[in-house]
Amino acid sequence: MITLTINDKEVSVEDGTLILEAAKQAGFHIPTFCYQPILSRLASCRICLVEIEGQRKLQPSCVTPVMPGMKVQTESQDVKEARIGVLEFFLSNHALDCPVCDKGGECELQNMVYKYGPKKGEFTEKKERFHEKDYILSPVIVKNSNRCVQCLRCVRVCDEAVGRTMLGPMGRGAHQEETSFLKSYMDCDQCGNCIEVCPVGCFMRLPYRYRARPWDLKSASTICPYCATGCRMDIQERGGEYIRAISKFGKGVNSELMCARGRFGFDFLNNEDRLTKPLRKKDDGTFEEITWAEALETIKTNFKLSSPERIGAIISARNTNEEFYLLQKLMRTVLKSNNIDSSPRWSSDAVSAYVTACGINEGGTSIADSIDVDTVLITGSHISDENPVTDYLLRRAFDTRRIGVIIASPRAMKLDSSAQMTLRNIPASDGTLLKAVVAELYTAKPEAFKGVTGLTKIKTLDSATLSKDCGVALDDIKATTGKLLKSDQISILAGTEYLRFPESLEGLVFLRDALRALKKDLKILPLLDRCNQRGAWDMGIHPAFTPGYEALEKEGLGCDRMVQAADDRQLDMLYVICENIAGLYPDAKYAVSALSKLKFLVVQDVFMSETAKLAHIVLPGAAFAEKDGSFTNQEGRAQKIDSLLPPPGEAKTALEVIAAIGRELDYGFGPSTADEVLAEIREATSMYREVEIDTARNDSALVKGKPAALRIADFLGKKRFDDVEAENKPSLPVPVVKVKPLSFKLVTGNHLFYSGTIARRSHTLRNLVSGPMVEVSVADAERLGLSDGDTVRVKGKYHEAILTLKSKKGSRDGIAFIPENFTEVGLNRFLKRGEGIQEVTIRKI
Amino acid sequence: MLTEETKTHIEGLLNKYKTRRSAVMPALMHAQKQNAGNLTEEDMREVADYIGLNPVVTNEIVGFYTMYNPLKDIGTYHIQVCANLSCSLRQAEFIIEYLEKKLDIKSGETTKNKRYTLTRVECLGSCGTAPMMQINDDYFEDLTVSKVDEILSNLD
Repeated sequence: MITLTINDKEVSVEDGTLILEAAKQAGFHIPTFCYQPILSRLASCRICLVEIEGQRKLQPSCVTPVMPGMKVQTESQDVKEARIGVLEFFLSNHALDCPVCDKGGECELQNMVYKYGPKKGEFTEKKERFHEKDYILSPVIVKNSNRCVQCLRCVRVCDEAVGRTMLGPMGRGAHQEETSFLKSYMDCDQCGNCIEVCPVGCFMRLPYRYRARPWDLKSASTICPYCATGCRMDIQERGGEYIRAISKFGKGVNSELMCARGRFGFDFLNNEDRLTKPLRKKDDGTFEEITWAEALETIKTNFKLSSPERIGAIISARNTNEEFYLLQKLMRTVLKSNNIDSSPRWSSDAVSAYVTACGINEGGTSIADSIDVDTVLITGSHISDENPVTDYLLRRAFDTRRIGVIIASPRAMKLDSSAQMTLRNIPASDGTLLKAVVAELYTAKPEAFKGVTGLTKIKTLDSATLSKDCGVALDDIKATTGKLLKSDQISILAGTEYLRFPESLEGLVFLRDALRALKKDLKILPLLDRCNQRGAWDMGIHPAFTPGYEALEKEGLGCDRMVQAADDRQLDMLYVICENIAGLYPDAKYAVSALSKLKFLVVQDVFMSETAKLAHIVLPGAAFAEKDGSFTNQEGRAQKIDSLLPPPGEAKTALEVIAAIGRELDYGFGPSTADEVLAEIREATSMYREVEIDTARNDSALVKGKPAALRIADFLGKKRFDDVEAENKPSLPVPVVKVKPLSFKLVTGNHLFYSGTIARRSHTLRNLVSGPMVEVSVADAERLGLSDGDTVRVKGKYHEAILTLKSKKGSRDGIAFIPENFTEVGLNRFLKRGEGIQEVTIRKI
Repeated sequence: MLTEETKTHIEGLLNKYKTRRSAVMPALMHAQKQNAGNLTEEDMREVADYIGLNPVVTNEIVGFYTMYNPLKDIGTYHIQVCANLSCSLRQAEFIIEYLEKKLDIKSGETTKNKRYTLTRVECLGSCGTAPMMQINDDYFEDLTVSKVDEILSNLD
């Protein structure tokens, strides 16, 4: 601790604290421009100058660390004069077109000049003009350099956090302009972080330009509805239209950072295709509008006609915890059915195994802790596209603390530049790769495994064969092992590939147990791609467990088996909330034919999805900004979301509808408001009992679990991976090993701008992607004689599509990636139930 | 397009420095030389690509240092006259004026026959022999009007 005086007040702070931060702790405000806590220090703007006794010149407080006995003045006459001088310099070239500037009203320069002065400028020279009109840098970013104060926040955030380096300072001194390469159109992540950090109106949102004044906006604090990083943002509206989403410094896990989907993808809320009235399918296949009363009556009649085991419910992982809880309560207590699940993309067995392998039932792990370690191993996830903000946080951790990052993925990604090792394994062989690592760990330190139970199988693993099977050189595996052995604190970030290919989980479990046997401090963080996937599992949206992962005696049907049961005419009724089974189930034809056989399908959704088209009753639903409740992100952090506007037309939230259906069936069914449901959740499960629902940023929001809450024997033990084949063989893809020349293995996942049914309804996000694409490695593109942007025909066994080719440097050869959510392509049409990874050929047309 | 020769030079530079990024300045210089003093957009992209940087980095560098002439039309002989303090005290302004009149161009311009480009530059580190100018890679010092005439007539 260091003691110093700031403005005659004695302050004790940690060693190495900056004067700026020390002053903040002591309650004194020092203005800043270029200072940005998450970025490197620059000290170029000089607005934060302070007086230090004994030093002849004023010092920038944003880079000067405290010293014992230092006497600092932050409001002396000299400091005030200097501040005014600095502001006058900024204004000497600033455009001062505040009346037409988007930033007017929330501009840091405006606020500061208003507060400190100068009241009158003394410069008579002509102002530097970079250009006459604003110019467009990308479909979402527009620029006016005449307002720039040269703080370089945009340049630093792009380089240091996002890792794209699309912006740079061009020219010198007053002529310096922060812009892209020769002011060209930027082909970047379009995350708009440059806009968010800009203190003035230099970088602006193109979709928002000239649309509103900040003081006219109404806003609500909510959580981004895309991936499970769980970024906190404020959504804002004007005149009933959602107009902007902003992130704020110091709020949420993301602080000021967000990705393109979060910052610009909210406009699906305004989409003109939103469902507004309940619909009933007529005999001729078209829909007619009906009233809610009629809809509820029909649903009630049909529910009563079916026996419990012939009823099922599927809810998408984009709903709130309260809705999940109430739905499973309706299903389990009123309808007496355990047929409930949350995603058609993977089997419920895969979920059980993943939950136990990652310790999701054991409580939350914060991202901050997970990256404050020696080595991070990322596996089974294309993190840069699937969880962009987690990628930014990792990049900063690497840059500032030099943590070791090891990435295992068939496809190259942006984060590779921060990784010490990148392992390019064959798709779906993540588990094999980890087993090879475990085998090497055992070879290196066999004595550590003595007396540890449950690890007998790893002794039989042979790293040489395994390395051949996963396509990674043995030397790379040995190097990885070496790094893991040298690290004391390790975290594993395990993505959704483990859910798509659950056989891989065996490798993950082996590695987890082996590292624990080696006495490593190990953390496992699941990387999920739907905002409330973890909440869905926590709330018991699963056929095998209830809220808090209490295992059920008798397991119900998961999504996959419900589809199968529908196909066998063993299921009569399906209640679907916001989930698009026909569009995402890995065999489109099968899913559509199975759903068509249902006696009664009711779908509540915000849009007319492929699944809704098959329904007998379609109910209009509400989206994230129209709901109150909570989301639990991938860390297990329960975060509050507030509603801003009511849903359009007659649309209702799923919570209202579930409660109404419940009351139709059982007069006493309740509760019906989000707060009441949350209170009941707290009573029902100890995981949420003491959790503080997070509104800004605190770690007591992490859910707590009991290690033994889930009877592991019921999932992993009974169906330990060896006997998976015997019963309940996961119907999802099994790896195909042989690759024919010029044929590609088809892999999938999320696109950076495109991750699901709601993203494709966002006009802004649609503008960012040129169209459905297929991605191959650069070497493969050359081999085929193709280049970026070529139109190609991708042909599989069951389907073919015309796509735009994109090549990626550093990806593994022999892999074709198609994002899973393009409506036009329907990746699931390429897949066949039970056949595993499909191969495709690519030809130029 | 970077020529094979330039690429060989860049390859040599990459071996010389610990980090690849360090090679960017001399690499740009080689690219500029290959085009007789001009730096094209394509070259800036290619140098960045070759070293493994984003093109914006080359843009930043050529924007900051005056020795690079990006997207300009530089003549066969690039005459750069220092106009900083020492040279100015020793009549550099007069030399520039004389050159402007003689070549019939303003400083910053190129003659119609693309033979000469005249640029007024900041200190070239030869204050002891002011006034001075640089023509392509060579320094010419202690300038007088007659000496300038002689130098120009001796250019090939």
